[in-house]
Amino acid sequence: MRVAIAEDSVLLREGLARLLDDAGFEVVAQCENADDLLLKVRSYSPDVAIVDIRLPPTHNDEGLRAALEIRSKHPSVGVLVLSQYVELGLALKLLADSAEGVGYLLKDRISDVDEFVGALRRVADGGSALDPIIVSTLVSRQRPDDPLSQLTPREREVLELMASGASNQGIANALVITVRAVEKYVSSIFGKLGLPSTGSESRRVLAVLTFLRS
Amino acid sequence: MGASLQIGAGLATTAAVAPLGRRNVGLRPNLLALGAIAVVGCALPIRTAVIASTTNDVDLVQVALLDWITIPFVLAGLVAWWRRPDSRLGPLMIAGGFASGLSALQLTHVDALYTIGAVFDILPAAFFLHVCLAFPDGRLRSRFEQVLVVTAYSAAIGLQLVKIALGAFGTNSLIALGSWPSAAADVQHVQLLTISATCLAGAFVLVHRRRHAGRLRRHSLELVISSFAIGLVMIAALFVDGDLDGPAFQQLQRATLIVIGLSPIAFLVGLLDERLGRSAVGDLMLELRGEPPPRQLREALARALKDPSLTLAYWLPDFHTYVDLDGNPMELPQDGERTATVLERNGVPFAALIHDQALDDEPELLESVGAAAGISLENGRLQAELRARLVELKGSRIRVIEAGQKERQRLERNLHDGAQQRLIALSLQLSLLEQRLEAEPEIRAELDQARHEIALSLEELRDVARGIHPAVLTGHGLKVALESLAARAPFPVRLTVDLDQRLPERVEVAAYYVVSESLTNIGKHAEARDASIRVARTDSRLVVEVVDDGIGGADTEGGSGIRGLADRVEALGGRLRIWTPRGGGTRVEAEIPCA
Repeated sequence: MRVAIAEDSVLLREGLARLLDDAGFEVVAQCENADDLLLKVRSYSPDVAIVDIRLPPTHNDEGLRAALEIRSKHPSVGVLVLSQYVELGLALKLLADSAEGVGYLLKDRISDVDEFVGALRRVADGGSALDPIIVSTLVSRQRPDDPLSQLTPREREVLELMASGASNQGIANALVITVRAVEKYVSSIFGKLGLPSTGSESRRVLAVLTFLRS
Repeated sequence: MGASLQIGAGLATTAAVAPLGRRNVGLRPNLLALGAIAVVGCALPIRTAVIASTTNDVDLVQVALLDWITIPFVLAGLVAWWRRPDSRLGPLMIAGGFASGLSALQLTHVDALYTIGAVFDILPAAFFLHVCLAFPDGRLRSRFEQVLVVTAYSAAIGLQLVKIALGAFGTNSLIALGSWPSAAADVQHVQLLTISATCLAGAFVLVHRRRHAGRLRRHSLELVISSFAIGLVMIAALFVDGDLDGPAFQQLQRATLIVIGLSPIAFLVGLLDERLGRSAVGDLMLELRGEPPPRQLREALARALKDPSLTLAYWLPDFHTYVDLDGNPMELPQDGERTATVLERNGVPFAALIHDQALDDEPELLESVGAAAGISLENGRLQAELRARLVELKGSRIRVIEAGQKERQRLERNLHDGAQQRLIALSLQLSLLEQRLEAEPEIRAELDQARHEIALSLEELRDVARGIHPAVLTGHGLKVALESLAARAPFPVRLTVDLDQRLPERVEVAAYYVVSESLTNIGKHAEARDASIRVARTDSRLVVEVVDDGIGGADTEGGSGIRGLADRVEALGGRLRIWTPRGGGTRVEAEIPCA
């Protein structure tokens, strides 16, 4: 699996490269800025690009713009955006068109190597990965007549994993239950929340997120 | 009233000009004027007597017409000299009058007098041109005008002497060298056409000047200029007619003399009208007694000066600049159609009248108006100073807030690129290390614990950094930043952001803090079930509204949070309002200019 990295801190960039190398990825490009990343994505067509959201020169929105550009011009390339803050507004922007092949995680997550590598593979394969912080903040919010109160604790767990982009298999692994049981929980959750059930695992991320936000 | 007055534009010039009352006067006109009147009084009867005694066929009409010119010119000249000792116009008019009187001597048969009369024959025309062009301050304004006048004098004196020498005035003339009639005729031809041309050009200059004069120039001044222009055209016509031996020379000559004699009368009427202008100062004094507010002062002064375009400038020594009544800095005009008259108190400027250039002709009026308005202008100056200080205060308030903002941004950036980045890298290193130590479960557990500590530190740091400055706002704008704020609120928030582009950073930051502080307050005190945020731009204002359905009755005085918000919004010229009826929810509304 081929990866391109855009990160302006040398320490982190090289640490990441080593981590990915160890995990069996082929790091085809290490870039300091967005322009370089776009150029290398064009030339090497990696399976996935890891993009720091704050890139030179201004450290404002260069990273995000590069990520959105890769998503529109190279839909086959997965994009995993890393940031020291995760913002719901940016998640909605990144997932606006589709949640396929896109991830948005706190930078801290890279040190949890197994999970990070799992999320990266998922994004490279066209799935999605959304930082659990975003989902848990939204889920923990108190609502009047809270529709979430109808969910069982297990269903809540499934909901959070689902909103983070986990596949049914992933949820099954995480909760140590069968895929069939996961499917049952998912359809029960969609029924209780009044959401139209969608076939695709990545499309339901946005549906759940939108539901939680409102 | 200690106010004195100076004419000039800007400080440099005013400093160089002495106040009017102590103006350096080159000539004291009183004695000379009396002398001149005496000379004229004696000279005219003597001359007429000489002419009558030496001539049989004297043309008395002609003599009377020359007196008709001489007397008004000398009298008007005396008045002008007396009123404007620093202007050369008075002496010039007197000289012109004398020249005209002397030219009548050519009607005698006494050779010496006849010669003098012959020499002065054409000169009055050149004087008249000079007076016309030098009106009203005695100076010629352009090189072109100087060339015209010098040419006219040269032709009127130089060519006249040549002509007489060639015998044009017969051999009676004492300076005739012989009789060469055709050469004399040639010289006369050149002379008359030259003077005609300069007079026509002079008339053109006057017409042009009148068309470009300020709107307020008095009708009587226009009358003077018109009569000058007509006189110049008639002289030109007369000389061409004479040169070509055209028809009705005598009638034309008389008409010309009548018109030229009328122009000093128009000049005197103009002076009288200016006197009447003084009564406007009396009206002004009455009006000022009612102590009009500074805004109405300008209108009153404009009426007194008959210049609707008048503006006032106040000198603020602390700021070292002139300002308008609202305290905005302004420059005095340096040249062109506007002139500044600087008003001083004890030698220090305190205000300036900025008026049409045409008022420069009436320094006395400016002086009286300036003196009459002294105290009222001083009040206006105090008001202008107050406003200037307010403007400055407002500016420094914005600067303080912005400097604080920049500093916060810098701190956040340092945390982000420094401590946070290093901790993440450290955590990554630990986990790589951990992977190599598969055989050492105990060490692995410790490393894992260390990573967990780092994760907690990072979380705390993240909250601190976000509190210092929301980087998402700078990077991605108000809409994205508010989306995250709303998402982090512990209660449901309906967010409507109607913005199609980024706003100035200080506006975004202020709006962000209004929402952030309001949400914090709602979370702490309001016991609200939900809240709604509405952000929209209308024209040049950003309106931010945060409404909750809580218990209301919020403390808007004690909390430093609300006070700080209001400061921030007001510093940008905006307004923060809060409605918080007990039991009726709370509504915070900020309006921030963002043009």
